[in-house]
Amino acid sequence: MSNRAHLTFTGKPFQFDAERDAEFEYLVKRYPTRESMILPALWLTQEQEGWVPGEAIAYIADRIGTFASQVYEAATFYTMYHLHPVGRNHICICRTLSCWLRGKQEIVDYLAGEIGIRPGEVSEDGRFSLEEVECLGHCGTAPVVQVNGEFHENMDVEKLKQLLAGLP
Amino acid sequence: MAETVKLFVNGQEVEVESGKNLIDALKVVGIEIPHFCYHPALGADGNCRMCLVGIEDGRPPLVPACKTPVSEGLKVQLDAEKIRKIQHDVMELELINHPIDCPVCDQAGECALQDYYMTYDHQASRMRVPQVVKEKKLDFGCGVVHDQERCVLCARCVRFTRLITKTGELGIVNRSDEARVTVFPGRQLDNRYALNVVDLCPVGAMTSRDFRFKQRAWFLKRSPSICHGCSMGCNIFIDHNREKGGDDLIYRFRPRHNALVNGYFICDEGRLTYHQENEGRLATAMVDGKDSPLDQAIEMARRKLENARKPVFLLSPNCSLEQMLAIRALAESRKARLSGFSDAYIKNGDGDGWLIQDDKSANRAGLELLGIDTAREGFAQALEDADLLVNFNSMRIVPAAAELAGKIAGLTTIAISSHNGPLTRQAAVALPVSSYSEYGGMVINTNHILQRFAPAVIKNQPAPDMLDLLRQLGCTLTERTDLGKAMQQAIPALAGTDMSAFPAEGLNLKEKETDHVTA
Repeated sequence: MSNRAHLTFTGKPFQFDAERDAEFEYLVKRYPTRESMILPALWLTQEQEGWVPGEAIAYIADRIGTFASQVYEAATFYTMYHLHPVGRNHICICRTLSCWLRGKQEIVDYLAGEIGIRPGEVSEDGRFSLEEVECLGHCGTAPVVQVNGEFHENMDVEKLKQLLAGLP
Repeated sequence: MAETVKLFVNGQEVEVESGKNLIDALKVVGIEIPHFCYHPALGADGNCRMCLVGIEDGRPPLVPACKTPVSEGLKVQLDAEKIRKIQHDVMELELINHPIDCPVCDQAGECALQDYYMTYDHQASRMRVPQVVKEKKLDFGCGVVHDQERCVLCARCVRFTRLITKTGELGIVNRSDEARVTVFPGRQLDNRYALNVVDLCPVGAMTSRDFRFKQRAWFLKRSPSICHGCSMGCNIFIDHNREKGGDDLIYRFRPRHNALVNGYFICDEGRLTYHQENEGRLATAMVDGKDSPLDQAIEMARRKLENARKPVFLLSPNCSLEQMLAIRALAESRKARLSGFSDAYIKNGDGDGWLIQDDKSANRAGLELLGIDTAREGFAQALEDADLLVNFNSMRIVPAAAELAGKIAGLTTIAISSHNGPLTRQAAVALPVSSYSEYGGMVINTNHILQRFAPAVIKNQPAPDMLDLLRQLGCTLTERTDLGKAMQQAIPALAGTDMSAFPAEGLNLKEKETDHVTA
């Protein structure tokens, strides 16, 4: 995992659009406490904006009535929330034990050398973004790479090259 | 002690208080179980795993002591090989990314990580990969400076802001080896108790901007005392030191636990009042605005008092009970009118219903108990035909009584004062006197808890004690034993109490004395 603590602020106020607003009000009734809405509200934000700006974290905290620090914790803990705009192709590489032992670092190093992106970064042309994530649950076929939500198992640098070549 | 249970620690039978967890109960009998995250005020979080112990009754091999209540016959294992291994391993994990910067860290000397390393770890690092680099010198607001690399992620600070102040400014962001304590951008620490996180931090991650780099912890003498910042009378440690060639100076106040008064914490404002004990002090006696030898000034004051026909005494609501009794006795013998007028010490609406009180004086309840008038009318009336005002260290008159200021300025004044101020400068005679960090005595807090405190600081050139000055001015009630008797007369709850057995946590004057006096 990269350090996700540096949030990106747009400088513009954030609020849910009408559709997400209604969805928020619908979902909030399903939970015993309003704090339970932290994760769904972050998803709604990402659906709406494609990522989660700093302003949205403050907005969600105030809307739920909880501490901004608590929403900040959840948003930085779960790597599926994008805390800055991602590239056209978002690559996640598992960094947990099995993938580490089976060579995930070679893939990470290749991406750093070939495309010039480290975990947490977006390539200059906006084509790729990279994140190192915690266990994706495919330990038996490690190392695993997730591209735009799709899993690719038993990966190595050669297979990754072919995979990237086919991406827009 | 309340109800007790007998249990076995490493095969040895010990008797401890029931209803507590293993850490707290065994600590009382001198058995330390190492821990980072547990704190009695914040509860058992169980995240640090440093307090794992063995219980020989078939439950899982190791359990956290912070979450294990004591019970009759419990067989606790603290020295088994597997426990030493766990402690060793936890320490190794904690130190993987720690900067090991003890030589420049404020916490050195009072750091759990440092102490536990010496006790449980003592190994060279096996790490051959670069450390995770985190941020340092983060300004969290309220004078709290954070070093993410020294943090052990025990979450005491986070729990303090969520459970105690309920302001929730702090959180742990990211996960795994990137996890770190931080504030949400633009929502820094913003509460009046924030500096408590510095005391709560078991390591050097939370430091106080006011204290950092000023003094090494092991040079500080820790003297128990009572904060005089407001009428709560929070229990504190005065941490002070005399550097070679310098004077005995206070470097910080820290909270001292007292369940009857302040629990584990103090407010930031009170904590920082130590500056006033070091600074702005009246150093020399003055006659008509010029420095004077002390004995000459005292003689001058004594004569002025003797010759006065209508003297008025004004005393500070911060005076100790002993001082108040002596001043009252001198007022009676000199036929002086006595006032404890001190409205300017009260900051209406400032209190928060917890520790911070409106009344910024330490012993107003003492004034009331001794029947000393605090009304403005009484003071104003007494001033009308007065020919001498003797001010016993009341530092704040003017803001609440601007129209009295003119009257006071026209009067011959003797200021017996621990600090410099307009009142000492305009006095005919100004006599320096010690302040509460330098004398001992008793004060009564806003909830009628009578507390005793002892001298902490000994200056190179100590200012005279108020009671000594009073004796030299002709007061006959200044001896400790006499004052003790006078106090027992004034306070019915103290009658018959052996003062040498005065309870450390103080005495609730609203309750029966028998509840507190130990046999």
